[in-house]
Amino acid sequence: MEFTALFLAISIVMLVAWRGSRSLALTLFAATLAGSVATYLHHATDTLKLSF
Amino acid sequence: MIRAFAVILNALGLYAIALVLAAAFAVQLLLHELPCPLCLLQRIQFALLAIGPILNVRWGPRPSHYALSLLAAAVGAAFSTRQVLLHIAPGDAGYGTALFGYHYYSWALIGFAAAIFLLAAVLLFDRQFARGSEGLQVAPGAFAHTAVALVIGLTVLNVVSTLLECGFAACAEDPVVYELLNSTK
Repeated sequence: MEFTALFLAISIVMLVAWRGSRSLALTLFAATLAGSVATYLHHATDTLKLSF
Repeated sequence: MIRAFAVILNALGLYAIALVLAAAFAVQLLLHELPCPLCLLQRIQFALLAIGPILNVRWGPRPSHYALSLLAAAVGAAFSTRQVLLHIAPGDAGYGTALFGYHYYSWALIGFAAAIFLLAAVLLFDRQFARGSEGLQVAPGAFAHTAVALVIGLTVLNVVSTLLECGFAACAEDPVVYELLNSTK
């Protein structure tokens, strides 16, 4: 569901960037990027099996 | 580099992003491999990468538009690096089928790194930011219009695809069925 929302948000940002206001597109881009990072932090919970 | 040429380069960038999104769909549909959450996040960053070129085509090239793409590429590179590191240990077969020797997340890391390099290279040409007789904007042609429509169409297809894959709940960490189709049976 969270990915559907993110892709939907990006589709809206693209349409705004193409047909709407530039400043609104920049604001929506920032919100969507923040949303994608938050989703990543929610899902990236596995410990990396690395040793140096 | 003049503004009109920069707009053509941005349209070409949109075609390249469309190719990446279409290739991801091809793997999903032809090999019946559902994308994992981290894979979807990398697709999302490729789609976000397209916002800068769309703004450049619509409003004319500006450094702030390239900055959006650089941000998306840097975040996407971080996401794909994490997935590479998850499967880097000896004996780990990786997630999904390898294409030409590399898994999708390895190709994604190469793609994001290439995008950062190319964006930095394009930013070197200051003349594209000079105000011409026609102002800042350059009227986009059919080539650019088609590129934008293609990328928007593929992103909307991802809305449908993720809805089918995850349904109305949180997406599975290792998806094997389309949850929405499964729940209606």
